[in-house]
Amino acid sequence: MKIYFHLNLGGFSNCYVVANETIREAVIIDPGQITEEIIDKIESGSYKLTGVFITHNHGSHVHGLRTLRKIYTPKIYAADWEVAGSDTNVITGDGKVHIAGLTVRYMALPGHTADSMVYKIGNVLFTGDTLSAGKIGTTNSSYSDFILRNNIERKIFSEQDSTVLMPGHGPPTCVGGEKRFNLDMVRSGSTYVRPSEQLPDE
Amino acid sequence: MYTLNKCLVHSCKNLSLSTFDAQGSITDEQNYCLDHIPDPGKAKELIFSYIKTHDVIVGLNTAGITFTGIDLTNKRFYGCNFQHCTFTNLHSEGLRSRMSMFDFATFSDCTLLNCNMQFTSFSGCTFSHTLFTGSDMVQNNFNGVQSFQSSFDDSDLYNSRFISAKLVNTSFRNCNVKKTIFLDCIQENVSFKMSNTREAVFDRRGSALAQGLDEGGGSLF
Repeated sequence: MKIYFHLNLGGFSNCYVVANETIREAVIIDPGQITEEIIDKIESGSYKLTGVFITHNHGSHVHGLRTLRKIYTPKIYAADWEVAGSDTNVITGDGKVHIAGLTVRYMALPGHTADSMVYKIGNVLFTGDTLSAGKIGTTNSSYSDFILRNNIERKIFSEQDSTVLMPGHGPPTCVGGEKRFNLDMVRSGSTYVRPSEQLPDE
Repeated sequence: MYTLNKCLVHSCKNLSLSTFDAQGSITDEQNYCLDHIPDPGKAKELIFSYIKTHDVIVGLNTAGITFTGIDLTNKRFYGCNFQHCTFTNLHSEGLRSRMSMFDFATFSDCTLLNCNMQFTSFSGCTFSHTLFTGSDMVQNNFNGVQSFQSSFDDSDLYNSRFISAKLVNTSFRNCNVKKTIFLDCIQENVSFKMSNTREAVFDRRGSALAQGLDEGGGSLF
């Protein structure tokens, strides 16, 4: 498995191409913007693009889908039907998809948006906007915030500390790093607070 | 890249070290971690020799190994895993790294001049007497690092994060810190002379990036 990272300058979101070198097939996660560079990567590697996975239906994560569908005919997986209309393979809850010779595990992790999904391929978690290095995604109510924190603890922090996290924005991180240094989770009184680093009340 | 196989010992949670075929190329085979490998000396030797003989290194897993006095000048690391490694007296100029993980590693007396490390994670690392002078460190994760007597002078730290870092006697002179986040940092004798600190984020309220967070509205992304 090879992962190529691409920074979308419009929206500063991260797009990932995950390629299976053995069978020359690839999937894309969050095509915020499709550039020549991404197309080159797929074409020069002679990869067949078989799937697109959307972490949530926000512009900076889906805008490139239109361009992509003009060139390829990938299966589109998202929790929101509106991403690609009737061409969307709507996924809900937790489960797995076998595609491009890879097993893609998906987990519903609402909070940032109702349709937020996290994908796991190998030992890499693609977290979208639910979690980025040191921060959690924004929410529009205290209830969403509570749900998001709970889901992160249950579904992301339960993974091995060495699991790599590839977020929708910002640098990569790992589960161990987030348990210790994620400001929003530490301040929320998560079970992972280090006693020596409890912060004063705001 | 990123096969990140688990150690063959069922109860062990560590990642296994990279394995090599007869031609000396990295394979996807499962292996033991550094704690359980029957011959750790040989495994380390194979890894050192692989690094020495290759300039472009993709998907190498060396979790937990100690590197002493190694020269990484002009080496290129893509998707490599150096979590919990120890680097002592490392010397490099023009090192290049993409999507590599150095989480919880220790760098002691290391010189990494003019390196180009992007989308790389150094979360929880300890830097002691380590120089990153003149480097491109765009969109890197330095959350929770502990840095003593170290220098990032003349570096581009655009969109990197130093959340919950402890910075002691560390200098960021003449750096590009646009969109760099220094939230919840402990700073002792840290210099940002000649750096564009107005573009960096030092607290939630002063940051355009985090505006509206406290009200539960707005958007960070």
